[in-house]
Amino acid sequence: MVERYLQVLRTDAPGLEDIATTRQRLAGAFPRNATRRMTQLGLLLGGVLQEITLRDDDVVVYCSVYAESRALEDFLVSFPSASPTLFQTSIHPSALQQVLISRQQSVREVFPHTGRSQLVAHALRAAVLNDAPRVILCGGEERGSWLLERGAASDDAFAFAAVLTREPADAMASVRLSLTDDEDGAFGLPEFFLALHQRQPIERDIAPGLHLSLSWT
Amino acid sequence: MSASVEQSPVWISATGCITAFGSAAETHAAMLAGQRALALQPVLGSAGGDPVPLALVPGRSLDETVPPNWIHALMPLAQSVPEAPWGTARFPVFITSSNFGVGSLYAFQQTKHAEHLCYGTPFATVEWMRQKFGWGANVAVLSHACVSAHLGLLLATRAFQTGWAERALVFSFDFVSPFVGGGFHALKILNHEFPAPYAARATGSIGLGDGAAFAVLEKTRPTPGEAFQLNAQSLYNEMHHFTANRADGAGFAACLDPVREFAGDRRVWVKGHGTGTLEAGRLEAETLARLFPGAPLVSWKGSIGHTLGSCGLVELALAAESLRTGKVPGTIGAAGPFFSDQVRTEPFAAGDYDAVLLTSNAFGGAHAACLLSHG
Repeated sequence: MVERYLQVLRTDAPGLEDIATTRQRLAGAFPRNATRRMTQLGLLLGGVLQEITLRDDDVVVYCSVYAESRALEDFLVSFPSASPTLFQTSIHPSALQQVLISRQQSVREVFPHTGRSQLVAHALRAAVLNDAPRVILCGGEERGSWLLERGAASDDAFAFAAVLTREPADAMASVRLSLTDDEDGAFGLPEFFLALHQRQPIERDIAPGLHLSLSWT
Repeated sequence: MSASVEQSPVWISATGCITAFGSAAETHAAMLAGQRALALQPVLGSAGGDPVPLALVPGRSLDETVPPNWIHALMPLAQSVPEAPWGTARFPVFITSSNFGVGSLYAFQQTKHAEHLCYGTPFATVEWMRQKFGWGANVAVLSHACVSAHLGLLLATRAFQTGWAERALVFSFDFVSPFVGGGFHALKILNHEFPAPYAARATGSIGLGDGAAFAVLEKTRPTPGEAFQLNAQSLYNEMHHFTANRADGAGFAACLDPVREFAGDRRVWVKGHGTGTLEAGRLEAETLARLFPGAPLVSWKGSIGHTLGSCGLVELALAAESLRTGKVPGTIGAAGPFFSDQVRTEPFAAGDYDAVLLTSNAFGGAHAACLLSHG
């Protein structure tokens, strides 16, 4: 069993908010003019990371199932005159890079995860498999448009950022990952986000061989 | 800036790859002979576009199909992975890619055939592959552009430390599509010129290649049989600019410094990233020359192309083949003057060295490096 402590948690659940409103709402989280080319997911992620001062030796674990759906859609439509900006913006983990580049914040290790049913389990596993004093676990989705109509983009927008440490003092919650012999288990990112957003406890198998306990203090 | 190095040694008991030349052994032999798999082809396949250097696996067209035609190249590689209950609780799989099946989304946009959408998202692609390969659901999916494979290696290594794995499989793949070709062409670094890694010339250019590879990791030395040891691994992310590095090369040094300290007096040769772009090539070559003076430097992307998210593992498999055979292919497709006098264009003997340093770089100033030796 490996245990970490949740010291800081920020979540944002804007639902159907459009990108222009998101940009206006979160303008203060970014340097002047930095938001012009940012994606909605980049903006949301920057918003939840705004009050978290990153350090060079932090490990960052990022997770998203669909990532930059809107940039991807626009890049696809830009052919045959493909847009260089949309190309680089559509590449995983663009949202995280948009935020950290705007802050000129270097970090030692970044582990961008994707996937679906075991995404949360494997992101949490990456978050605890290191000797860093702090891990930033973050992620989210943006709502797609024509790819959503085809089932290839998220139908919701959300973002979260959590600071995990090895020290229990003043923690909001404890996160325990333990081994099981069960070969089942799945836990989707929207479900995980909802539990964080609503401060709900979690007690379940989340991937083959892996059990998650999240207890709020 | 600081960086640390993962010093827990881990063993690689099996590795393999496919490129446009074929298997690791076939690719290695072709590179020793100085061959170039890259050939000028329309960047958008049958839709045309400028001719650019691409290296596709034999028999594969750049045009997307349903299911994606690259599965025919991937299946034999997956079947060559030593048998184990991969994807179960104690036998985790780490799949890494930059593009997954995103070419299928391009195909959908062009044709409106909904069948392409079944392969368009990373999870759909991986789920399809997992079922084809007969793996369980314990498959982590990582994507960090051209350092993706290194992340899989590092997380697999750490899974041993907590006793969460008996063996681990890292599997990386990326196949060229009009989507990615069009993107790099739009950035103007995929153009009509062939790549000349580390060459100080007027125009920078890359070539793109199909590639896939695997490595089976073990905590202890497997017996019997040949094995390689992954001695040290390091990552660093500059987060300075999407497509540029810090001008002083500090990001390269932050990743490589701790590996140099770990390497100590070992004699190393370097398989660099070396895509053929000018500024990144210069910064990489100059930093390596400063930190590893006298170490021969090669890049193989002038031959097989840049295999993107799989490049770290494809080139590791080719480095292992070099250690196995004792012969290291030189940098292909480039002629001096170079950014460093340590660049080698001719093959040389691996036996003169103790280990090979393998490096990869990616968008956002991401850096990865690892040290590999023959066990």
